[in-house]
Amino acid sequence: MAVATDPRKEDTPTKKKGAGDLLKHEQRLAYWLLLPTLMILLLIAFYPLGSVFYASLTDREFASATEPEFIGLQNYSDLLSVKIRELPAEIDPATDAELVDPETGETIFARPLDILPREPRRYKEAFQFGLFGNRYVVGATDPEFVLSIWDTLLFTFSTIVLETLIGLGIALSLNSKFRGRGVMRAVMLVPWAIPTAVSSRMWEWMFGSTRTGFFNVVFQSLGLGDGQIPFLAEESWQLPAMIAIDVWKTTPFMALLLLAGLGLIPGELYEAANVDGASKWKQFTSITLPLLKPTLGVALVFRTLDALRVFDLFQIVLAQKKYSMASYAYYQLIDSQKMGYSSAASVVIFVIITVFAIMYIRLLGVTDD
Amino acid sequence: MTDVALDIDRTATVYRKARDPKAILKRVGFWLLIILIAVYLLFPFYWAVVSSLKAESQLQMTPATFIPRSPVDSSIDITFQNYSAVFQNEKFLRGLANSVIVAVTVTAFALVIGSFAAFALGKLRFRGKTPSLYLILSMTMFPQVAVLTGLYAVIRALDMPAIPSMILSYMLFTLPFTVWVLTAFFQALPDDLMQSAQVDGATPFQTFRMILLPLTLPALVTTGLLAFIAAWNEYLFALTFTTIEPNARTVPVAIALFTGEISRQEPFGEIMAAAVLVTIPLVVLVLIFQKKIIGGLTAGAVKG
Repeated sequence: MAVATDPRKEDTPTKKKGAGDLLKHEQRLAYWLLLPTLMILLLIAFYPLGSVFYASLTDREFASATEPEFIGLQNYSDLLSVKIRELPAEIDPATDAELVDPETGETIFARPLDILPREPRRYKEAFQFGLFGNRYVVGATDPEFVLSIWDTLLFTFSTIVLETLIGLGIALSLNSKFRGRGVMRAVMLVPWAIPTAVSSRMWEWMFGSTRTGFFNVVFQSLGLGDGQIPFLAEESWQLPAMIAIDVWKTTPFMALLLLAGLGLIPGELYEAANVDGASKWKQFTSITLPLLKPTLGVALVFRTLDALRVFDLFQIVLAQKKYSMASYAYYQLIDSQKMGYSSAASVVIFVIITVFAIMYIRLLGVTDD
Repeated sequence: MTDVALDIDRTATVYRKARDPKAILKRVGFWLLIILIAVYLLFPFYWAVVSSLKAESQLQMTPATFIPRSPVDSSIDITFQNYSAVFQNEKFLRGLANSVIVAVTVTAFALVIGSFAAFALGKLRFRGKTPSLYLILSMTMFPQVAVLTGLYAVIRALDMPAIPSMILSYMLFTLPFTVWVLTAFFQALPDDLMQSAQVDGATPFQTFRMILLPLTLPALVTTGLLAFIAAWNEYLFALTFTTIEPNARTVPVAIALFTGEISRQEPFGEIMAAAVLVTIPLVVLVLIFQKKIIGGLTAGAVKG
């Protein structure tokens, strides 16, 4: 505190000063006020972030005595090289016709292994997709990382949409005056208050693959499944389960920020709108939403950054069954000791996050005056 | 002042016309909505409470029961053995104390330092505003894993014990957050407030301290709560920085390192009991502060 206040006490402006002096004074004050924040952030962020950038250009190993070598952009090219190839249908050499699976009646396509390039670097299948009757395979030199990018983006998009809608709904409901509103505000924060390290375990338990798990009990009593659905082991359930957990966990963050934002909207605006006979919906779209935009923007920026960096949840619940971008970087560092490679993955995450952040800030005018 | 300002909401009107059938319907609908929200947010926590009151054999029952029941005759059978085990766990209790120290200090620093920066960014005119905002934000755009090794090197170079090093490193994610959120709130305050204060001869800093800061109290409390919880819950940094100083472990690390009496068996009931116990202080904290979260403070002030 002393850092910021002392210097300006000396030059408190006397009353009669020109507008230019006032502006200069204001500017100087602004720099003093920003100084502590910037100093702390530089102290703890400058070296770590710089070393991540540098390590990403080397083949450095974690906790190893071997001297790292500078390898340029090799890590990035290993992480991100992607090739898309069309899979031709298998041709029956006898009849020259396309081979068809006798059981399902579907065309049999060539194996990705035979189609994707192997020299100079080997591309492995990440996933396949169909388009206009053709079948394509996406191959990557590191399919796991490419998949983790895709999964994380999907995860981010779904969680942000859901928690914004639910969070806004909760904030609007709790902004009304009713008995027990204080209690509801405390209730609202419970999911956010439980440490992720613990709440992830809680949900892992609820998603258990036998009827000791809550969801299997409920699904079975509703006649869905046999009570043995392996939610966390089966590919098609993994991401929805992660999304469900994260939406539950982080909606309070959204709701609380929006609630505080709603509190800043002057009540007279609504009174005037009521006098004018504007409908509730009209009031919502022309008063609430525009005035909530700065808060919503900031909340969205931070939620998106957090979702793109999601780590604890994936690492605790899915471990190496399915990766988020950050948990992939973690396992490359801790399990494979590939510090350079892991750092490159982190820089990729940083770049993706930057793109999103700038997009949001532009779109929502967060920094506008 | 605040009550008048708050008198905008729908339910207040509903109370007044409680006889009107349409209003009654609206009110019932509103309460159903509130109950739905409460159930959605609380159910997993309820499940944790129930699990914490079950013994190991009850946890393995199929189908899982919604209240702890005896595996033999299905009568209600509650056990507190998990809680007594947690309360006898010295590491957990020390973790609780460490967490309180770390989270309180982090929140205080983040709010004081952050509100200075946010006032400058939200209300003062100066060159380099947008770059500063981006610079501050960019500090949180890396995954924690990425900065871990570098941060550890910095902490070692500063020769810091574990608790101060956690406090310092948590600034990495709390400070950008508080600065950005508070900047948005300062921007939302009307400019006339500043101008009229300046006309009255107040310096910008006086305006900040005596007028703008009190007006953003709801925002400060909200941001403070969110920052507190983020610090309270942090796991990866805490785990790393306390490896050589186990006495400084915070609660999430202490819980994660719980070991059962039978080797390799995870004491799930105890973990859930600990989860319930660390959540309750936060709920109490919110209950204390929630009155401050009530907004609408500016409405009255702008009028005058």
